[in-house]
Amino acid sequence: MTTTTSAGTRKLTIARAMAEATAQEMRNDPRVFVMGEDIGPLGGVFGNTRGLYDEFGPERVRDTPISETAFIGAAVGAASDGMRPIVELMFVDFFGVCMDAIYNLMAKNTYFSGGKVKVPMVLMTSTGGGYSDAGQHSQCLYGTFAHLPGMKVVAPSNAYDAKGLMTAAIHDDNPVVFMYHKSLQGMGWLGTEKGATVPVPEESYTLEIGKAAVVREGHDVTLVSLAAGVHHCLRAAQALEDEGFSAEVVDLRSLVPLDRETLRASVAKTGRLIVVDEDYHSFGVSGEIIASVVEHDHACLKAAPRRVAYPDIPIPFAPTMEQWALPNADKIVDAFHQMMLS
Amino acid sequence: MQPTTEQRLWMYRHMVLSRYLEERIESLYMEGKTPVFNMAKGPIPGEMHLSNGQEPCAVGVCAHLDPEDIVTATHRPHHIAVAKGVDLDAMVAEIFGKATGLAGGRGGHMHLFDAKVNFSCSGIIGEGLGPAVGAALSRKLQGKPGVAVAFMGEGAANQGAFHEALNLAAVWQLPVVFVIEDNAWGISVAKQASTAVPRNDRRAAAYDMPGVHVADNDVEAIFSAAGEAIARVREGQGPTLIEIETARLAGHFMGDGEDYRPKGEKEGLKQRDPIPRYRKQLLDAGLLDDASDDTLVEGAHARVEAAIRFAQDSEFLPPEAALEAVFV
Amino acid sequence: MSIVITVPDDLWEGDSEGVITAWLVNDGAEVAQGDLVAEVMVEKAQYEIEAPSTGVLSITKQEDEVVEKGETIASLES
Ligand SMILES: Cc1ncc(C[n+]2csc(CCOP(=O)(O)OP(=O)(O)O)c2C)c(N)n1
Repeated sequence: MTTTTSAGTRKLTIARAMAEATAQEMRNDPRVFVMGEDIGPLGGVFGNTRGLYDEFGPERVRDTPISETAFIGAAVGAASDGMRPIVELMFVDFFGVCMDAIYNLMAKNTYFSGGKVKVPMVLMTSTGGGYSDAGQHSQCLYGTFAHLPGMKVVAPSNAYDAKGLMTAAIHDDNPVVFMYHKSLQGMGWLGTEKGATVPVPEESYTLEIGKAAVVREGHDVTLVSLAAGVHHCLRAAQALEDEGFSAEVVDLRSLVPLDRETLRASVAKTGRLIVVDEDYHSFGVSGEIIASVVEHDHACLKAAPRRVAYPDIPIPFAPTMEQWALPNADKIVDAFHQMMLS
Repeated sequence: MQPTTEQRLWMYRHMVLSRYLEERIESLYMEGKTPVFNMAKGPIPGEMHLSNGQEPCAVGVCAHLDPEDIVTATHRPHHIAVAKGVDLDAMVAEIFGKATGLAGGRGGHMHLFDAKVNFSCSGIIGEGLGPAVGAALSRKLQGKPGVAVAFMGEGAANQGAFHEALNLAAVWQLPVVFVIEDNAWGISVAKQASTAVPRNDRRAAAYDMPGVHVADNDVEAIFSAAGEAIARVREGQGPTLIEIETARLAGHFMGDGEDYRPKGEKEGLKQRDPIPRYRKQLLDAGLLDDASDDTLVEGAHARVEAAIRFAQDSEFLPPEAALEAVFV
Repeated sequence: MSIVITVPDDLWEGDSEGVITAWLVNDGAEVAQGDLVAEVMVEKAQYEIEAPSTGVLSITKQEDEVVEKGETIASLES
């Protein structure tokens, strides 16, 4: 699986980048192991553990029963006892059956022990819709996880970031929720966002958790998003450029910690803010981003901020309804137009 | 407990109907998905879990149920919905996401709700058990007739919800029967790799309820085991757990490469396809002859074709309808 | 010398067509023998294509193109 292709040219899908980061850490650190449903010989339903079972065997790459409460709770126990487990919750929508292990144990044991107990684990989970999998298999729930204190939350938009964030997550002495969007995984059957498959260095590297990236510079408006939303923003920015406007795109990459400084600096420069989020509109990421800017300095705004988010409804199956409800580049461009009118 | 001739032919007809429905869904699902398999494409997008091979579980149990009885099913629900008498036109239209579907296209194939026959299902493993227990409690509290049956795959028996629901049903002696369709696989993970007991019916002992095992996907053995369990709950004698050895003749979902199966397994299972087996049994018993079989099969096919036409001819709801039905 | 990269005949069972879902190396880049260069998908299964030798990659079948077993998808110049 390793390649010696000339530097800067070898590309990886996010799925492969996650698997490569995990494999490199497993080679270096015997404490790292993986658990989850279908993550063994199958390599994960979304491909992000491919090759691990062959290299590390069933002792360290463990297919679990469909018992999320038990195996995520087990990861907390193993992490507190000196291991560095990586566990997978196949779809983030399934958090309902095991949330206690996540937010009452994984996220709180460090605090309850006065910082003496470390819980160095990674919870990987898939997010996102757009392929008619309906309301129990298509949610993002970024805000749900980011809302609850005690766990870091990352959501990469491309393979370079995915590898660096995965390595950083495994190194981190705190629990990290690694949310990967299905449409970015490089699994063709999910319809793949080409922009997510990018050059990735072979050697191990980390990306600091809690640092956003300005992935496109501009001065008329700041478009803020994460994961798949970043690609919608990039398309919208291109469309706006054709109209003569220059949009800056901020890829949050991490929700917890949230890089408010990068956000504020960008909006201070552009004076306009549109937040794009495939998660539900209310009580979530988009509101938090806007509040982070406005409570800091509302005077920098030339217009009221806007958001392009998922309406507050369960995700419908029918493609007509689902596509209508999802954020996309056209809606972002529209939001900008309305902003300029008002 | 032996089925009557009428029940035998009912079970056979519903197995044939369910299988033909799956075969038609399979080919329609692949429209727009070859040679490039993109789940979002074609007249039936999304995931698709077919029930081929598991029909005996559905008909053997539902033969004992009336519309007023409650059934909760799983992500693999079609055979059970057919046997429970879910409105076929509306069900197929829902699978196509159309306005005339059970939920106007909001639910899709994993979320079929037909209140007229008390049927529902969910895509979350183990989620049907609690609601079945609660519906049984509701009937008891209201003094209304009816019992509940929760279907699940063998993988669900490792969920906490399974154990909690069995205990609750047993403590309160509720009229609910738990039916495990053991097709030996949970996606790519084999039952023996995930389950501490070889047979889940043994787990009934932990909740002091009868545990019944039915081998070999045998229609009439299922009928008999389910009949006894359902008769017991109707008499107020408390819950039963049944595990049925069945077979998944399709992939976990459409597009599954099934590389995890041992070589030859699927071919072996297909040789034991329960539908030709039951057909032969009925022919041998003189309950069916070639002519009456043809009539029955044609009738079932025609019913499915009519439902598919109904779905295809239906419109989608306007997209903004997505905002409706969140609350009543 | 030019060596072609083909879809191996035994990459998957049966004679279904596949689709190139990703080129993991850019056209014109240098690759080494055994490098993973492309992914091909058949239904939900993904298969890997490796470089049969070292050389400079010249892609003839692009991403999203449908391919059959045995079909040439690129060549390597050394
Ligand atoms: C709580 C939860 N965890 C995981 C899944 C993903 N998943 C869908 S089907 C399936 C396998 C289910 O196996 P089983 O219960 O035996 O039913 P079968 O698919 O064999 O009919 C899994 C793990 C899910 N839907 N819900």
